[in-house]
Amino acid sequence: MASRASNGVTAPIMSGYVSEKGGIRSLSKHTILEEPANTQSGQGDAQQEVPPQKKESLLLRLFECKLFNMSLAIHYLFKSKEPGVLMYIVNKMFDFDSSDVDFYMPQIINMYVQIPEMAEALHPYLVHRSRSSVEFSLKTAWFLDAYSPGSMSPGSKRKTHATKLRNLILTDQLRPKVQCHFKQLRSHAIKSEDSTKKKHQRSRSDIVHSNMMVVPESATETWPVKENGTRNLGDLSSGRAFDNGCTCFTSNQGIYNNLKGYETSCTCGAPRLSPELEFVKCLIAIGKRLSAMKSKEAKTERLVGELSNLNLNLPARVWVPLNFSQHHVVRVPPQAGVVLNSKDKAPYLIYVEALEVENIHTSPLYPKLSCTLRHVRSEENLGDSRSVPESMPPSYNSFTTVGNLDIENADCWSQDDDEISLAYTRRAPITERDTLSQLSIDSVTSTESPVYIAAADIRKRLFDNTHIQTSSFRRDPEDPSAAALKEPWEEKVARVRESSPYGHLSNWHLLALIVKCGDDLRQELMAQQVLTNLQHIWETEHVPLFVRPYQIIVLSKDSGFIEPILHTVSLHQVKKHSQTTLLEYFYSEFGPPASEEFLAAQKNFVQSCAAYCLICYLIQVKDRHNGNILLDNQGHLIHIDFGFILSASPKNLGFESSPFKLTQEFVEVMGGLGSDMFEYFKILMLQGLVAARKHSDSILSLVEIMRCGSQLPCFKSGAATIQAMRNRFHMSLTEEQLQLLIDNMVESSFHSLSTRLYDGFQYLTNGIL
Amino acid sequence: MGPNSAIKRTTKTEFDANSSTLEGEDPSVGNANFWDEFFLLKPKLNNIELEMSKLSVEQLMALQPRLNLLLCRCHDTMSDDKSIRAVNAAQTFCGILKGIYAKTPLSEQVLHFVFGLETSDAKFQSMIEQINIHLNGEFPQTLKSVCLKLLLVMATGTDNVSSNKLLEYLMVHSIHETLINILSNVSLRKLFGHEAVMLLTLLVNYRKFESINPYMVKLSILDDELALHGFGQVVGVSLAEFNNRFAAEIQEAHSRGIISALTSAVGSFFSPEEVDSKSASIRANIGMLLALYEAAHLNRNFVATITQAQADLVNKKSAEDSMTEETKDTEDQIMSDLSSGSSNLLVTFLEYCSILMQETKSEASCNTVKLCFIILSCICEDQYANSLMHDANFVFSVTLHRMPMRHRKVPPQKLSTSPRPLACAFLDLMVEFLVSHMMKKLPLELHHLCLGIIHRLLAYQKRSRVRLSFPWSDLWSSLIALLKYLLANEANMAKRLNIFSVCLQVINVFNLFITYGDTFLSDPASYDCLYYEIIRMHDVFEGLYSMALRYSSIENNEFKDYALKLTHALVNIRAIINHFSPKIEQYMAANGVSPLTEEQVLEVVRLNYQSLTLKLQESLDQYERYSEKPHQSFFTQMVSFLYWKLQMFFPPF
Repeated sequence: MASRASNGVTAPIMSGYVSEKGGIRSLSKHTILEEPANTQSGQGDAQQEVPPQKKESLLLRLFECKLFNMSLAIHYLFKSKEPGVLMYIVNKMFDFDSSDVDFYMPQIINMYVQIPEMAEALHPYLVHRSRSSVEFSLKTAWFLDAYSPGSMSPGSKRKTHATKLRNLILTDQLRPKVQCHFKQLRSHAIKSEDSTKKKHQRSRSDIVHSNMMVVPESATETWPVKENGTRNLGDLSSGRAFDNGCTCFTSNQGIYNNLKGYETSCTCGAPRLSPELEFVKCLIAIGKRLSAMKSKEAKTERLVGELSNLNLNLPARVWVPLNFSQHHVVRVPPQAGVVLNSKDKAPYLIYVEALEVENIHTSPLYPKLSCTLRHVRSEENLGDSRSVPESMPPSYNSFTTVGNLDIENADCWSQDDDEISLAYTRRAPITERDTLSQLSIDSVTSTESPVYIAAADIRKRLFDNTHIQTSSFRRDPEDPSAAALKEPWEEKVARVRESSPYGHLSNWHLLALIVKCGDDLRQELMAQQVLTNLQHIWETEHVPLFVRPYQIIVLSKDSGFIEPILHTVSLHQVKKHSQTTLLEYFYSEFGPPASEEFLAAQKNFVQSCAAYCLICYLIQVKDRHNGNILLDNQGHLIHIDFGFILSASPKNLGFESSPFKLTQEFVEVMGGLGSDMFEYFKILMLQGLVAARKHSDSILSLVEIMRCGSQLPCFKSGAATIQAMRNRFHMSLTEEQLQLLIDNMVESSFHSLSTRLYDGFQYLTNGIL
Repeated sequence: MGPNSAIKRTTKTEFDANSSTLEGEDPSVGNANFWDEFFLLKPKLNNIELEMSKLSVEQLMALQPRLNLLLCRCHDTMSDDKSIRAVNAAQTFCGILKGIYAKTPLSEQVLHFVFGLETSDAKFQSMIEQINIHLNGEFPQTLKSVCLKLLLVMATGTDNVSSNKLLEYLMVHSIHETLINILSNVSLRKLFGHEAVMLLTLLVNYRKFESINPYMVKLSILDDELALHGFGQVVGVSLAEFNNRFAAEIQEAHSRGIISALTSAVGSFFSPEEVDSKSASIRANIGMLLALYEAAHLNRNFVATITQAQADLVNKKSAEDSMTEETKDTEDQIMSDLSSGSSNLLVTFLEYCSILMQETKSEASCNTVKLCFIILSCICEDQYANSLMHDANFVFSVTLHRMPMRHRKVPPQKLSTSPRPLACAFLDLMVEFLVSHMMKKLPLELHHLCLGIIHRLLAYQKRSRVRLSFPWSDLWSSLIALLKYLLANEANMAKRLNIFSVCLQVINVFNLFITYGDTFLSDPASYDCLYYEIIRMHDVFEGLYSMALRYSSIENNEFKDYALKLTHALVNIRAIINHFSPKIEQYMAANGVSPLTEEQVLEVVRLNYQSLTLKLQESLDQYERYSEKPHQSFFTQMVSFLYWKLQMFFPPF
């Protein structure tokens, strides 16, 4: 379909292209002179030699050459003002891999919202993708909401084109073409253009058509049910809050398809987007309610309850909109939810049990399961009012006269007892666990010889058991996230899996998700784009720097989802719980100074620290207190929270004037000033900066597009923001000069008084160590 | 003025007079439309009942053919597609059936009067089917409501549910699925949840000790999470209402400003003057408590629901609002949700227990508390519930109300702690019961249940090695206080009450701590503390031993065996006292101090474990699983309570 659409429009565009030579010429001249280093090889140089009158074709040649990728397309989309060029690039976008395009969604939507002529060009693409993909529809709707200027007040008379598109998507008018086709068939208005439709498409719609013809009654019959279904949408107590009333899967045809392994697609016209929309809305609403609770305990308690309520409505055709593979959410283990550290907002972390499926929209839902252990016991208990034979003396199993009978009796419970207790005793070895109980049982059977135990032994065992050194942090009601995040992921998965009724399924997965509301994640998203971009650059340039970008979904101006970084704890938590220096912590976590594990961790630390130092410098990341810096289980340093970047800094107190945060402790882990690893650190920074400089245009254009029309605090210095950022790439310096620059920056950061001051400030105001 | 309206008027007067409908000629003779029009009129139930109550049994006998005719017509009309006729027919049926029940409690006769014996089976079957259709389908609320009322009238015919023959039809033709459907559907639950739960409870209790009751079986295997959630929600709402009412009264008294008003408020909530409102308020929840009991006892899935269901317990209204104004969902709703706070059924129930516990003077209230404690025992026996209640990540703050007592200096009316695992609240509640029920008229059975609950929790902790962080010394001192009280009142209790079995339970709890403390105490210091408490209160244990010894040697003492067991059970505690007493004296002599401080005693304890040997006692963590059997008459009594309550509840239609 994509190729058809683009081919169809290419011809007129190209003709328009030729007719507007002048515009093209000026444009191409402008851009090609500024051609960055990334159109490598001799091609770029050759182009410069070409006489002016042939230049118009150069842009075209660039667009058609293999090197023309999405990054360049975005760049030229933004630079160009020519409708023809815009149309041409948008048409090219149909050919790009959709995941490549998706990376630039914030830029695309921002341009769509801010620049009317761009909107015109981009509109067909957005509509086309929205039709074919529910995920894309949702993302587009969320971004449109987030990037639209001002409030979307319903009172304002003239709806902007963005609002219109958003409404179009949300009212589910952009359904796959098949549906429209079907409608046309039904209204007997089959148009001649039908014949131009692609073959497979028509045949598919024919199938749909015939299905509907065979069972027209069932379609009408299901209406009341569907009404019922949609009425419950969003009502958590109904148990069907995420049920759009689609009956296609429960219909005979659906069951038949399932048995035969055919794909079922929804033809009943139930709202496609609403289940996921409701799911997301519900998660955000939980966050809002949590933020109104006063204490952390109350929040935690509330969260557990909210999640159990949510659970009633699962499984459903909903998914976690981060880039996991296709899945249906089946359960949210309530006890695993954690409220994260934040002063007045209530971001929270949830773990989500999901079943991987082939296709979210066409795979059948897994039926609801409850805890399987239960049944046996219910029936058993039912029996106990009658099953005890009358002849049995009533006291036969009172505690003082226990015989083997009672133990046998106990055995029939023991299986699930053990299953459950296993979850709790996993870590503690259970070898000596029941020797005493066993003894006591023995003593019952041989009543004559009493068994004696020493009180000292009991106390010693108690002492030993409660003083087992564990690597986990103790649970702290004020900071529940520390213990939850420190728990090794594998253990957590095993634990949840064991207690889940769905755990036995082979396609069961545990996903994690941070829900933030009240926070603007748009800057954060842009920072992550920059991070991802740098990661690619360093990878292609073979610079061994480590970056860990995390996924972000912006849902609106003040809410969104964040992918939690697993296996990490913040430096603040490390300090609080281990009460030692970072280096000591490294020793205790990874091993003694010369051990292989420690060296590997140290290397990881240096590579990641260098990367993040560069990033902090390039995009001026501020608010670098220890709560925002994580350490993973391999020693990587990972920065989070990019709420203050570019021209924004917290409260503008003038703290954090150093280029980046490099503390005494960091350097200590590297081996101290002048050590080999410290030198390696500086070399890495230089290599990283050189590589980033080479590709600076792609990074800059990412940021620049977002600046347009933006109210974000990071752009409050206006155009100067971009210029300042461009300057930080130091295009004019030689490598030697860069080397000097890095040395200076490291020096001044290391000796920075303000870093220490800022940490002190954070400790005083927020209690962050 | 057509002839039709004339007929209407006559039938109306006829109907009002009732007797004429019942006594005269068959009114449908010569008027084919008579019944159609008859059922368009709204029946005056008061009149029907009044007329029926005037009749003697003999007169009723004489009317039997006519009653049969009328009720058969009602039956036929209930399937009328005009819902107004169906409603009126069902209502007429209700009224007459109630009248019949009032006249004759004998089931055979009731059947005779209703449809006549021959046709009863078929008629009742089709009627129940029709009711199922009405309740499950898209029908007006009034029709559904009157159908449920009819079912309730059927179910509450006699004070002994089991002798109600009409229920046999409901056993054969199940309405279980219909009731479950009501409970799982949000809007239906809001309207009829209470009735559905009542019906289920009554039906489960029909001859449950004698035969296989299908409702019992079905309830026990019910695994529809939504229905269970709905069930829990209905129960929770009415318990929470009670809690709120209590809290409001306390609040009101408090606002009057005088501390003494507090005590009087609590007193008046249960005071004898307001005996009607009191018993009404307690009995109003008997049905819910019985329902909770049946579900918790029979259905293990429900136990999970109890602990998990975060019911929007109080804000019934706001939920309804949100139904109507779906669009206005954002801020308002969020705020209204918040006002209700967060809770779950178990949290609500624990608070409810703490209120009920304050009044155990009358037998009725004692029975209610007993029912509560039995429910708690059932929950404590469940592994899954236990695992949730002991989960350190699953915390709640539970409000426990405390009885104002003279010896408590500042009576904290409410004991609302920071969120902790639910097991802590259980233990708090039990401790509170122990300290507040050392009374002349000792509710011994409640003490047994209470200690049983503590024992069950400890047994779970021991088996699963859960180290709950709980101030155990609270528990120890309350247990010792109980022993002390019993010792002091030995003279007037030991003869008539089996205080030895209670003491035995207490000592067993201590033995669990002494022998298996290593598996569930959270740190060595608390083990030392246990010894400290025992040594400190050695007089009590020694007194107990000598008392037990005395009674075990008295011939013809019915509690002799228990007294003997008690002496055996005390062996380790005595060993501890005997072991440490000389050590402490030595310490005092050596350091020349007397008396010792707590720290000093603890030090002695810590230093002298070495030479102490304890006897391993048998099966300390075993307990007799709860069985309904011994409580048969209790439950029959409770169900007939429910009957009286429903009788009070139902007359006005």
